[in-house]
Amino acid sequence: MSANTIDRRRLLGAAGTGALLWAVGGAGPARAGEPFRIGALNPITGAGSLYGAGMQKAIIFSAEEVNAAGGAGGRMLEVFPEDSQTQPDAGVLAAKRLIEVKKVHAIMGTWSSGVALAVMPIQEAAGVIHMTSAGASIISTQDKKDLVYRFSTTGQRSGRAIASILAKDGVQRVATMAFNNASGRDITDGVKGAWTEMGRKLVAEVVYEPNRPSYRSELQRILAGKPEAIVLGAYVPDTTIIVREAWQLNAKVKFIGPGYAVSPKLVESLGPEVAQGLMAVDYVSALNGAAYTHFAERYRKVVGGDPADGFFAACAYDMVQVTALAIEAAGGSADNAAIAAKLREVANPPGTPVSSFAEGKALLKAGQKVNYEGASGPLDFDEHGDVRPLFKLSVIRKGQLEFRQMLDLK
Amino acid sequence: MNAALFFNLLLNGVIEGLIIGLAALALNLVFAVARFPNTATGDIMTVGAYAGIAVQGLGISSTVLQMLAAVVVCMALCVVLYRLVFRRLQGRSMLAVLLASIGLAFIIRAAVFLIAGPEQRVFQIPLQRAIDIGGVALQPSMLWLAVTAFGCMAVVFAVLFLTPIGRRMRAVADNRALARTSGIDVDRVMVALWLLTGAVCGVAGMVLGINTVVMPENGWNILLPAFAAAVLGGVGSPVGAIVAGLALGIVQELSTPFVGFTYKIALSFVALIVILAIRPRGLFGAAVKVR
Amino acid sequence: MLSYLVAIAIIGGIYSLLTLGLNLHYGFTGLINFGHVGFFALGAYASALLTLAGLPFAAGFAAAMLIAALVALPLGLLAIRLRDDYLAIVTLGFSEIIRIVITSEEWLTGGVQGLPGIPRPFGGLGVGGAEYAYLGLVVALNGLAFLLVHRLAASPFGRLIKAVRDNEVALVSLGKDPVGVKIRVFMIGAGLAGLAGALYAHYITYLSPEQVIPLVTFYVWMAMIIGGTGRNAGVVLGAGILVLILEGSRFVRDLFPGVLDTEMASIRLAIIGLCLVLFVLFRPRGLIGDGVER
Repeated sequence: MSANTIDRRRLLGAAGTGALLWAVGGAGPARAGEPFRIGALNPITGAGSLYGAGMQKAIIFSAEEVNAAGGAGGRMLEVFPEDSQTQPDAGVLAAKRLIEVKKVHAIMGTWSSGVALAVMPIQEAAGVIHMTSAGASIISTQDKKDLVYRFSTTGQRSGRAIASILAKDGVQRVATMAFNNASGRDITDGVKGAWTEMGRKLVAEVVYEPNRPSYRSELQRILAGKPEAIVLGAYVPDTTIIVREAWQLNAKVKFIGPGYAVSPKLVESLGPEVAQGLMAVDYVSALNGAAYTHFAERYRKVVGGDPADGFFAACAYDMVQVTALAIEAAGGSADNAAIAAKLREVANPPGTPVSSFAEGKALLKAGQKVNYEGASGPLDFDEHGDVRPLFKLSVIRKGQLEFRQMLDLK
Repeated sequence: MNAALFFNLLLNGVIEGLIIGLAALALNLVFAVARFPNTATGDIMTVGAYAGIAVQGLGISSTVLQMLAAVVVCMALCVVLYRLVFRRLQGRSMLAVLLASIGLAFIIRAAVFLIAGPEQRVFQIPLQRAIDIGGVALQPSMLWLAVTAFGCMAVVFAVLFLTPIGRRMRAVADNRALARTSGIDVDRVMVALWLLTGAVCGVAGMVLGINTVVMPENGWNILLPAFAAAVLGGVGSPVGAIVAGLALGIVQELSTPFVGFTYKIALSFVALIVILAIRPRGLFGAAVKVR
Repeated sequence: MLSYLVAIAIIGGIYSLLTLGLNLHYGFTGLINFGHVGFFALGAYASALLTLAGLPFAAGFAAAMLIAALVALPLGLLAIRLRDDYLAIVTLGFSEIIRIVITSEEWLTGGVQGLPGIPRPFGGLGVGGAEYAYLGLVVALNGLAFLLVHRLAASPFGRLIKAVRDNEVALVSLGKDPVGVKIRVFMIGAGLAGLAGALYAHYITYLSPEQVIPLVTFYVWMAMIIGGTGRNAGVVLGAGILVLILEGSRFVRDLFPGVLDTEMASIRLAIIGLCLVLFVLFRPRGLIGDGVER
């Protein structure tokens, strides 16, 4: 371990003694050389546990890279990991601890909308930057101080991507089935919105309660509308049961769903015959970018597994890199609001495209503008602080997810 | 509602009802004899399903053998729970035992999570297409489900009403003190009860796992409707449990054109409350005297 | 650090208020309520919706208590006719019905998207001040509830309550009305849960159906069992221990970095389960109970 990596015991001691001295959160201007503290608030347990650990590790190794490049604006990064338990109340307590005890300047990697929304009032009041990959559309409008940045997209936009793919394929009759939670509904609402704008109507739509022994009645209701394609706002377990029951019912219909549901796990559960032809629409990391290549290599080494499953980890990696660039651009004594104000400048065009903090730091020092092109995508923030992601369509053929096409939703 | 839709919903209700009914059967036995709602039932079922998955993992693809393993493991688990916890709580209030069973449910589920992980498993059983008769989809697998559920019910019924140990179980259920004074070894009866309960849990867990996917929270998720069916069926009535499960499943599915798909799961509780308001002992509550 | 402890204390205080309500139900009348989270949910959503509509906080809190208590009336009427074990299941089902209604009636509750931006009181006091003021409110309301339960227990009505619990038949033969007593107690306890819900809503500022699952009820039961039924001090202690178990895993993570990460949720669940089993087996009166064996 290098001297720059995080020494947990030292940090704990510092937090313990330092905490009582300061009254309220780290909103004031930074003292020169004061470390920039990052709270990694990730869903280690609960519904998001498939992603949480990868996100947290990505934040940590991303910060290590920044520190190895000499820090940002003369400030080293320190990471404090926490578990949101994918639960709003646990998320609130964790955020409190991060802001009040650890005095963090930024909270990164909230994943579920419930946690992000519950953390926001505390974080806004304390003037702390908040970077999230949660999907709920209202996050954008609830952020009054322009401190919240979203690195993935809303489910609505995924739904719109799905609708445009179906329209391009010439599909006329579309139905939707949604798992009754915010993510499931967001996707099918997005499909419905886009479809309505095209002047068409869904032939059937159903919202179902999860954890049922069967979804046959729901499916038959949908099939009665004679759809050519059914859009699923669903997860792996319910998709498994629905697709299996549709096969049993002899339904001649295409299924299309988000990549986290139509996944290798699903193929393994259904077998190649039943899974044949299922379509997945997924956010896509910038597969050709240098940042992604670098991230993928580190991900394999540190987290393990296929980096293609690590989209949220790629988001988390980018959160640290782009923040470090903003700190560099804002200068070592900038406060959180000044740093946040620089985020669009370093991430959006115009500027020389860069794929890492180290690369960008040199250019910024030379007085040039930079445009960070991240591992999770081109990373250009709009006026809400949301990025416009790329999507990809894959189709299952002979038990394999085959890449079909990229999609850039304007 | 046209005839095809009606019959489709009816059949779907039967499938769901039989699955719920099996879980209710396991609840019902303990309810009648040991006299508490055993909250751990769902999680014991989950363990059974994982036992079946483990056997499948050994390369044994016979569903019968997998189910056998599930039954044996659940029987063993039930006896262990009885020896370690429930026996010590004899003579304590219903609430004490109920709370202990909630605690056990949590412990079992946590153990399943820690050992098997959160990822889903499936039973690799070749799927069959439904037979279409005038728009009504007849599922061949439904036959097996019905045979299993009614078979289970018949076995439990036979044990309770046709064997000496069943007679003793009913005696203990009626009046434990009296049973003891008349020379019945209550401990042996209780072990037999938990063995029988475990067997039903194993079958119920496998049936649930085959029809859905196997995950650590599977059994827990079916517990509430099973509770409703067990109470509705009336304590101590194996026929009541299956019939009530069927009734709830059918009512639930047939209601969907009117109340929609999100409210249908509230329906079993509404039905439960309405029926208990009219008949505080449940539908078949008078069939076996409990107190 | 202090402010984090304040946050923990607020959550603990909310659980303590919930447990006081449950203790009133069970500890004083023997009514077994496994649907406590339903009253909590009613209170939380009632107060959130009213204050979002611009009504003052006092109105929200009052409505939270009132609605929870009113819904408890028909449930209580049914409850007293049922056997203990049926009652446990019926109340559990009741809380699920409440949750499903909240999930489904989007026009009112926001459905699965939840209710964001619920107002928080004491905004004028600044960030730190508002936190302390909120803790003060939680503590004050706990104190009031504590006193209320205490006064109830000491009053002639309270003696009636205890009599109902200990010997209902004798009471009836004395010409008293145990049914009325039980129902009133059931409503008061539900009102306390509703109040706890309001406090929760205005503190977390975001509500969704995922926050009102039966697990909350089981947590409250655990707090009561650990602390001891029938005695208020025990109830508060139990709520404190519950929050310690729920929040303690953060410190475990600090002490043993890297290990246990994803297993933590399961370990928390197992610890809570183990607490329930061990206390029921070996210390049924809790840490400080009223000594009545149940």
